[in-house]
Amino acid sequence: MAKYAFLFIDDGVDYQASPTPEQQAVYGEIFKWFETNGSRIVDGGAELQPTRTATTIRHRNGKATVTDGPFIEAKESVGGFTIFELPDREAAIALAKTWPGHAVEVRSLVEQRDEHDVPADLARR
Amino acid sequence: MAQYVLMFVGSDEWRQTRSKEEIQRGYAAVGKWWEELSKKGVLKGGEELAKGPGTATTVRRVNGQMKVFDGPFIESKEQVGGFAMIEATDLDAAIAIAKSWPGGDVEVRPIVVH
Repeated sequence: MAKYAFLFIDDGVDYQASPTPEQQAVYGEIFKWFETNGSRIVDGGAELQPTRTATTIRHRNGKATVTDGPFIEAKESVGGFTIFELPDREAAIALAKTWPGHAVEVRSLVEQRDEHDVPADLARR
Repeated sequence: MAQYVLMFVGSDEWRQTRSKEEIQRGYAAVGKWWEELSKKGVLKGGEELAKGPGTATTVRRVNGQMKVFDGPFIESKEQVGGFAMIEATDLDAAIAIAKSWPGGDVEVRPIVVH
């Protein structure tokens, strides 16, 4: 078994502003999806407010600058995440395919570290 | 108190171009930040996402069907590298915490309370 982060990707729809009946139906299906797959969730994560509420802090030459908006301006954005425990990546992809929303980015987690607390792939270098 | 997600973003260049010692120092600073905020009860959890080939797959709806693509959802040098869930009095306080992150850039997002 391994842990996978599901980053739920929005396609620019603001579910909070004025969702269409179709969007509301998808939201309902998403709610059911979480109920169905609840036993495989190890961390419920969070649903994020829309990107219009985002603030990005950038560090350049030792200075921090604060700007409104997400780290990258694009139609798609991260709308939330949840951590699942699943047998392998194939199972994670199969589960992601059942997501009623727009898209999911499935990411492995850094779980193994060496004695210096560095991810295993860096420790091997 | 309100809850916020800090999304840590950056390119993998940093890890690829620095010496092992620099990387260890960077991770030590991050570890200290994490431990101190956890002790204060500010940090409620989070994860580091693996980077590099084979660690990201995107499943996307195309013409009504879910299709599988290698890599993150957006083709960009900058990717989400991890996240933390924090509790702060307001957005300004959350931004102050994000500024103290010893890693790289941070996107701060309020979360939806159900």
